[in-house]
Amino acid sequence: MKLSPIKVPYVFLIVGFIALVSLFWFTPARASEPAQQTEEYCLSCHSNPDLEMTLPGGEVLPLYISVEELNTSVHSPNGIECEACHTDITTYPHPPIDYQTSRELSRSYYAACQKCHPGNYTRTQDSMHAQVAEAGNLAAPICTDCHGSHYIHPPDQPRTLIPTTCGNCHTQEYSIYQSSVHGNALKQESNPDVPVCTTCHGVHNIQDPRTQQFRVNEPDLCASCHANQEMMNKYDLSGDVYDLYSLSWHGLDVSVYQARWPTIKHTSAICTDCHGIHDILQPDNPESSVNPKNLLVTCQKCHPGVSPNWTGAWTGHYKVSLQRTPFLFYVDSFYSIFTPLILWICGLYVALQFIRFTVDRVRRSL
Amino acid sequence: MTSQRKPAPSSPSDAVKLVRTYPRFTISQRWEHAILLLCIAILLVTGLPQKYNTASWSQAIITSPDRLASIQLIHHVTAVVLTALVFHHLGKACYLIARRKLPGDMLPTFQDIKDAWSMLLYLLFIKKQKPVFGKYNFEQKVTYWFLFFSIGVMLISGYTLWFPEVITRLLPGGVIPAAIMAHSTEAIVTAIFIVLWHFYHVHLERLNLSIFSGWLNETDMRTYHTLEYDQLVHQSHSNQDTGDLKS
Repeated sequence: MKLSPIKVPYVFLIVGFIALVSLFWFTPARASEPAQQTEEYCLSCHSNPDLEMTLPGGEVLPLYISVEELNTSVHSPNGIECEACHTDITTYPHPPIDYQTSRELSRSYYAACQKCHPGNYTRTQDSMHAQVAEAGNLAAPICTDCHGSHYIHPPDQPRTLIPTTCGNCHTQEYSIYQSSVHGNALKQESNPDVPVCTTCHGVHNIQDPRTQQFRVNEPDLCASCHANQEMMNKYDLSGDVYDLYSLSWHGLDVSVYQARWPTIKHTSAICTDCHGIHDILQPDNPESSVNPKNLLVTCQKCHPGVSPNWTGAWTGHYKVSLQRTPFLFYVDSFYSIFTPLILWICGLYVALQFIRFTVDRVRRSL
Repeated sequence: MTSQRKPAPSSPSDAVKLVRTYPRFTISQRWEHAILLLCIAILLVTGLPQKYNTASWSQAIITSPDRLASIQLIHHVTAVVLTALVFHHLGKACYLIARRKLPGDMLPTFQDIKDAWSMLLYLLFIKKQKPVFGKYNFEQKVTYWFLFFSIGVMLISGYTLWFPEVITRLLPGGVIPAAIMAHSTEAIVTAIFIVLWHFYHVHLERLNLSIFSGWLNETDMRTYHTLEYDQLVHQSHSNQDTGDLKS
C-alpha cells in the first residue's frame, strides 16, 4: 500500500505527541521529593559493591546492599524499606555519622525494631543478654545479631537454623549440643520434636540458666516433652520418668524447694545433674553418664566414695517391680495388706468393745 | 508379793477407810514407758511434717531449710535416745533371762488366742461372760509386741536412711528405697495403732494410769486382772500365817 503524501505528517504528529506525553508522564515523578526516600533511590548508590566508608574509629564500614538478597528479606517485599529503620537519613548528602565503631552504630540502630516489634523488644530488654550489655559487654547480642539487619528471614526456617544462630557466639555449647541425642536427631533427620536452644532457654527473654530459680524449675522443663506420653511413644521412651522422679527422694526434695524456697540453694539431683545438659546421650550409649557402666561415677559426684551397690538404690524412673526392685516390691506388697489390716482390726475391735460396754452399762443402769 | 494400804485421798466422812493397792509396774518400767512416750511423741512431731511436706500444716512447721535441718537433728537425737532405751530394755531382759528371773507374763501363750476368741464371742453377744485375765491380758500383749516390732522396723529402717552409704557397703542398694517406704509407712501404722488401740484401752475404756503411778487399786485388780488377783490373795492368805503381810 502506498501512503498519500498528506497522511505522512499525521503519522509524525501522532508519534511525536505520544513521545511528548510519555515524557510528561515520567519526568514529574522523577523530580518530586518523596521519591528520594524509596529503596530504589538508596540503591542507586548502595548497590555498588565497592561502596564503603571509614568510621572515625578507623574501622571500614561496608555500605553495599545486595539487591537480590534484599528482595528475599521479610521486610523489603512487604514495603518496609530503608527509611523505616534509617529514619535519620532522608536524602543525599546524608547527615554526618558520629559513631566511633560499627558496633556502636548497630547498638544504636536496633532500637528501631521497637517501633514494629514492641513485645519482643521489651522481652529482650529483660533478658540475660541485655543484662550483660548493661554490665558493659557491648558484644552482647542485639536484635540484628540473631535476625540479621538488611536480609531478615524467618529465624526458625528451617528449624536447624536456630542452634546455628546461637552457635555463632556460643560455639562450645553448640558443638556439644550437635553431638548430643537431641542435637544429633536435629542434624541427621531434622527431627521436629527435639529441643533446640530456644525450647529450653526461651526466645527473647533468655534468662541466666545458672540461677537457683532456673535449676529448681529444670525438671518441669524436661517434663514438658518427657512427660508427654504421645511424644514419648513415638520414640519408644517412657513417659513416666517425671512422675516417678517426683516421688523419688531427689524429686520430693526438689519439689519442696520449688514450691517454697525457689531461690535457696538445694543439693538434690535434678535431671541435668545425672543426664548432662547440652551433652545428653541415650542411656544405652556407652559414653552416657547414666549408662550402667558410668552410673556409679555419676552418683559419686554428689555421694563421694559410695560403693557399687549404691546405684541399686536409684528407683527414680522405674515403677515398683519384682524384677528391678525386689526389696521395694516385697515391702510395698506387705504394707499394702498390713496397713489396712491393722486399721480395720483396731477399728472394728475397739468399736465392738465400745458397743458391748455401752450396752452393758445401759443394762446395769436400768 | 506385797500389798500396801494407802489412805483414801478424800473421804471426810470415813477417815479410816483404807484402799488396798497392788504394785503393777516397777520404777524402771515406769521410767521406760515415760521415755518411750516422749520419744515416740517427738519422733512423730518431727517426722510427720517431713513425710507430709506438701501439707500446709507441715509448711507452717518447716518454714525454712534451716528449720528443716534442726527438725532433722531433733529427730536423730531422739532416735538415739530411743535406741538406748531399746538396748536397756533388751539388756535387762537378757540379764533377767541369765539369772532365770525373767517374769514370763508378757510372753504370748496359746491361752491368749483362746482369750481373744472368747472375747470376740463376748463382744458379739454370743457369750454372756467376759473372759478373765492374768497380769497382762491379750490386748496388752498385743500392744507390747506390736510396738516392739514396730520400733524394731522403725529403728532399722531409720538408721538405713541415716547412713545409706555405710549400709550399701554391706547390703544391695535396693534396701534404701525399701527402707524409705518401710519407715514412712510403719510410722503411720504405729501412730494409728497407738491412737486407736492403746488410747482406747487406757483412756476411754477406763482411765488406767498404773504405768505412771505403778499401782492398781483392788477393784481394778479384781475386775481386770482376776486371775492375778486370785493368785495374790491366795498367796497373801498363805503368807499371813508367817506374818509376812505388812498390814
